[in-house]
Amino acid sequence: MIQFWNKRVKEGILTEDTALDKELEAIKREIKENVKKKFAGSLAIRMVDSGSCNACEAECNALSNPYYDLERLGIYFVASPRHADVMLLNGLMTFNMTPHVLDAYKQIPEPKWVITLGACPVMEAPFEKTFAVKAPAADHLPVAHHIPGCPPEPLEIIRGLLEFLKKI
Amino acid sequence: MRLIARYAKEREGTFEIVTVFESETQRETISKENPVIRTLAKKHPSAIWFERKMSDDFGIVIEDAFDKRPLLHQERFPKAIHPMQKAFQKNTLDFAEFTPYKYEAIQGDGVFQVSVGPIHAGIIEPGHFHFSQAGEDMLHQEVRHFYKYRGIEKMLEGKTLLEAKPVIERISGNESIAYQTAWRDIVCQAAGMELPLSLRKRHAFLLEMERIIHHLTDLGFIPNDAGFGAALAFASKLSEDARRQLQNVTGHRFGFDAIGFENKVLDISSLYDYLDGLQKDIAFFETWIMDIPSLWDRFDTTGILQKADVLKYDTVGVVARASGFSLDRRSEPFYLEHGFEIQTEQSGDVAARFKVRLQEVKNSIVMMKHFLEEDDTHIDIEKIKDGDYTAFAESSLGELFMNIEIKDGVIERFFVRDPSFMNWQTLHLMMPNNIIADFPLINKSCDLSYAGNDL
Repeated sequence: MIQFWNKRVKEGILTEDTALDKELEAIKREIKENVKKKFAGSLAIRMVDSGSCNACEAECNALSNPYYDLERLGIYFVASPRHADVMLLNGLMTFNMTPHVLDAYKQIPEPKWVITLGACPVMEAPFEKTFAVKAPAADHLPVAHHIPGCPPEPLEIIRGLLEFLKKI
Repeated sequence: MRLIARYAKEREGTFEIVTVFESETQRETISKENPVIRTLAKKHPSAIWFERKMSDDFGIVIEDAFDKRPLLHQERFPKAIHPMQKAFQKNTLDFAEFTPYKYEAIQGDGVFQVSVGPIHAGIIEPGHFHFSQAGEDMLHQEVRHFYKYRGIEKMLEGKTLLEAKPVIERISGNESIAYQTAWRDIVCQAAGMELPLSLRKRHAFLLEMERIIHHLTDLGFIPNDAGFGAALAFASKLSEDARRQLQNVTGHRFGFDAIGFENKVLDISSLYDYLDGLQKDIAFFETWIMDIPSLWDRFDTTGILQKADVLKYDTVGVVARASGFSLDRRSEPFYLEHGFEIQTEQSGDVAARFKVRLQEVKNSIVMMKHFLEEDDTHIDIEKIKDGDYTAFAESSLGELFMNIEIKDGVIERFFVRDPSFMNWQTLHLMMPNNIIADFPLINKSCDLSYAGNDL
């Protein structure tokens, strides 16, 4: 463990030095202000996968790595729909998953919003409609905002969340 | 004889049951009027999922099976519909009446049941686990999946190999390049082409890149599930860096559409520098993580998969290698010439699976350096010939099996068996003698795919 602290003292905190960094900082400032104003400082998201390839989840997990660290802006992924303000829905709305998605939506307290993430829930991915697919999600749920991409990169997800915050 | 896959194909008037073993493929023809076969599960327990899937897909009856519950078709799925039959062409279904699914459960005084999922507490894919508990102790667990069942096998029928590619690469985001590699092998076979060495090296480089991203993510998540969050911060930074490198090389963070028949010149010196840096970071990570006794206290002897069970359940991938089996599709001259060394551990526990991943990352970096070369080969695909083609790939999870039958230039039957399909069936064997709080740790150490499994 002592090696870790030596490295930490020697190298300091990880920061990126890119043009992107400035843009990210500006977006983050704006998000923080909006979350403060509209969600009293903390926006809780319940992510629900309704039948994806797992790439969208990987990108949402990447939001908590040291480069993006979404939580410092007051945006949290929560474990239960009962703790959530927003459902972040990705995937194809499979036949098997649809009843569970609707159930999870029901459990979110009012006021609540649905944001769709990625190409699948709007049927823009190369997947076709089969007997096992119930997408688009808008047929089943009131969708407030959509974040496009296959999958959207972490920065695009952050931008998408900001757009949603400005919209409501 | 290791069982690799068992699946059915529809012919005129008959069904053909194909059973793929490591050294031979058996075919059995049965009539459509009386589609009955006998189970293979008594010898190969993992055959049971294949057989239950066959019943759902085609309506084939497994006469002496001990488990006749539906597998893909869940509580609200209409009865007596077998969507893989050619006659079934509907692309929408209505929800039927709810029929409860009977879980495997242990009954008794003080034994209670715990249901988890399909929507889990974190940002992960949907699946269901059903535990029989005596206090903290797990007595039994049943894995129940197929919430992500998208009907991909049916979706691809009637498409050409090229049209099918965008779907195949999105079957499982973590294994996209492995799926594309298997697809590439089938294209080469069907067109009667030999892949130039430079392209092979490029594709192998990308496959190792995908593997290290997946392994690095796990090297963070496994300690995190044992309460050591610092490792997640460190490893998730490394996996983000690796993903950005993959984007530099392929134009996509997951390598969608990365495997083709064209080689683009790479910036080799910067990739070398990157790999050198990663090598140092991993060396640091290893000495650091090996030095945390409280962590290894959680890892050691947790979730043991016995050698006998690996053999009995035909397990593949990291899970099999961590229990001492030298099973890896990369054990072939091409890989061996480029620095491949098989990584195995003996103890079969969470610690062993963690160590195998760590060693594989180190080995992959060595190989990736060998695979780097400047080249701009381009080959054209010749005419695709009809036939029955099979390919294997070693994804980050294990052995991937793909079979595509082409008739009149389009896909007649698409079948793929993800490594997870075998390994999910062994997960319950790792539960006895462990407590429920260790379940996330055991599950994460196997890190199986739901999307590839459910199809």
